[in-house]
Amino acid sequence: MSLKELNALAANRSARRRSGGKADTRDNRAALGFLSPWMLGIVGITLGPLLYSLYLSFTNYNLLQSPSWVGLDNYERMFGDERLHQALKVTFTYVIVSVPLQLAVALGLALALDRGMRGLAFYRSAFYLPSLLGGSVAIAVLWRLVFGASGLFNVILGLIGIESSQSWISNPDTALWTIILLHVWTFGSPMVIFLAGLRQIPRAYYEAAATDGANVWWRFRHITMPLLTPIVFFNVVLAIINSFSNFTQAYVVSGGTGGPADSTLFYTLYLYQEGFGNFRMGYAAAMAWLLVLIIGAVTAINFWLSKRWVHYDD
Amino acid sequence: MGKYRPGRRALTGATIVAAASLGLAACSSSGSDDSPSDGASAAGGSDVELRLAWWGSDSRHSATQEVIDAFEEANSGITVVGEFSDWGGYWDKLATATAGGNAPDVIQMDQLYLASYAEREVLSNLADYSALDMSHLGDSVLGMGQVDGAQYAMPISTTSFTLLVNQDVLDELGLTLPDTDAWTWDELGEFASSVTEASSGDVVGIGPMNNEYSLQLWARQHGEALFTDGNVSISEDGLASYFQLALDWAQSGAGAPADQYSEQAALTLDQSDFATGKQAMSFTQSTQIAAYTTASNGANLVPVKIPTEDANATPYAYLKPGMYWSLSSQSKHPEEAAQLIDFLVNDPAATSIIGTERGLPANPDTVEQLSGNLSPEETKAVEYTETLDPILGDAPEIVPNGASDTDPLIQRYLLEVMFEQSSPADAAASFISELQSSIDAA
Repeated sequence: MSLKELNALAANRSARRRSGGKADTRDNRAALGFLSPWMLGIVGITLGPLLYSLYLSFTNYNLLQSPSWVGLDNYERMFGDERLHQALKVTFTYVIVSVPLQLAVALGLALALDRGMRGLAFYRSAFYLPSLLGGSVAIAVLWRLVFGASGLFNVILGLIGIESSQSWISNPDTALWTIILLHVWTFGSPMVIFLAGLRQIPRAYYEAAATDGANVWWRFRHITMPLLTPIVFFNVVLAIINSFSNFTQAYVVSGGTGGPADSTLFYTLYLYQEGFGNFRMGYAAAMAWLLVLIIGAVTAINFWLSKRWVHYDD
Repeated sequence: MGKYRPGRRALTGATIVAAASLGLAACSSSGSDDSPSDGASAAGGSDVELRLAWWGSDSRHSATQEVIDAFEEANSGITVVGEFSDWGGYWDKLATATAGGNAPDVIQMDQLYLASYAEREVLSNLADYSALDMSHLGDSVLGMGQVDGAQYAMPISTTSFTLLVNQDVLDELGLTLPDTDAWTWDELGEFASSVTEASSGDVVGIGPMNNEYSLQLWARQHGEALFTDGNVSISEDGLASYFQLALDWAQSGAGAPADQYSEQAALTLDQSDFATGKQAMSFTQSTQIAAYTTASNGANLVPVKIPTEDANATPYAYLKPGMYWSLSSQSKHPEEAAQLIDFLVNDPAATSIIGTERGLPANPDTVEQLSGNLSPEETKAVEYTETLDPILGDAPEIVPNGASDTDPLIQRYLLEVMFEQSSPADAAASFISELQSSIDAA
């Protein structure tokens, strides 16, 4: 389709819109028709349960009997709940440490891969693989073995001369860090997005800068980074939300306990324990809403801050 | 340059949409359960499908499946679908299924959860079903399955608490177990340390006590009770000494260090250090002998009495209502389900298959029937339980509603103590207040 044709099409469409013709209404109806399965899904599977959980958060609901209204009791209880505070501490530590680490690794590798090396497709797939596997139960189980007392990690430490027989996964001081490492390892999806972003930066900029004598660092600092900021922002927002809602890794690595001694008690894991283990689904629903508020607030702050550092080239 | 790169609006839009959908995904639950086909009527028109749920290890799964086959053969028109998992996953699954109105018809129940489920009216009173014969059971045994006077659970078995010793490991190390008839906790600790020393650390002596049954016994040895009138009644000192013992063992080398112990928390019985011969002694229930023997490839496991400070004190031991069968009030075929429970506990064909896998049967007729052809492991369990007679007292009250998480709670505070994040006294105080508030909230 040539540009001319496209223009004609656009002109035609806007003409129709202005006149509010019948064809336009028909189009809208058809659109709604095609969208309806998706809308039904949103309303029935997402929105309905979402609103129901909001209702449940104001009730005492033990799963087995009908919920009874208790007003703000569940939310008030949060202030005195030390395990909730521990869960928040664990989760925030996890987010604050693992998000920058993961994105740094992803960006670093994306930059390395962006040099148009041979076999790029292979490396890209190889590095992306952990992202597909990292959230799986099998990898979490494997992680237990790797960081166990007689695990691969200690063997490697032994090879480089550090004797260690401690179980990293079962020690409250190190357990969370093994899960952070697992998360960092799944750098594939932000890496692929970074790669796509790097590809969009016009080569001409670099050529011009090189002609002017800019070195590699200067080019990265003043061309790559500014032009990549929208992509960085996109990745930051996504990674933060993903990290806040991490469940599988925490559940499997600690066997569902959040142990040892609550050192890996992730927010969602505690929520699950309260809801399904302790029959306090009302409280669990309130916790879910607190998490929604936290994620919402953090995301809002992100968008607000983005005005200061994200450059859109338009 | 704009045409090379996505502009502000496109990217901001994409970020918002992705953010929103992730946020929603975080708090929406997925899950559409296959609902059970309620009696898919075939040609006969009376086909009934029952679901039977239990937890346990491999040996229990195969035995129970065999009984199911026998039941189906004896009752044409009834199909039974077995649903089993290990202990941890079982209760999550049961709670979820029950909440969804999709509970299994017949549920293997534990006294930790009996009150929680019964008081929330999701179990049926078994006394209403004539198909289920409970006349063999004495009042005291039946009482163990009652909540507020209604028979919500049929006791399957009774079990006793024991210290299981891997004799093969001791032989290999050239060690002899001291006289266990009236030994003290100190003697046990010292002997356990000698195991660790003799094996230069390859085998540890013992693991800590870490469940409600053991805590009950510990309280009773000290003249206390874990629960009284539905409330926590163990003293802080009593509980602190329980935690202290675990800490002492982890530090003295009698038991595994905290991290090695904690590593096992997520493992099944078959993978535990005791089953794999890396630990010489383990606290457990006498009826687990068969499961541990299988898991340890036929090691010679000997049940002995747990130590006491004062062998002549009030009888502290008790037979725990091992497990129960309960009937879900959501069952669409309660009559047939009652029939299935009756078959499981009273039918000689079934009881001979199960043996003592679920504990020493509560039905005396079954014990009689089994006595002739028990496996060596089962005989051990029965004989061990007989030696407890002189120290056997009344069963304590069942775990109150709201306290079904007592086991993980013990485990969590135990680890805090073993990793020295809390002193035993602090852990005891927090444990008691947390458990009590959980009971109050239920």
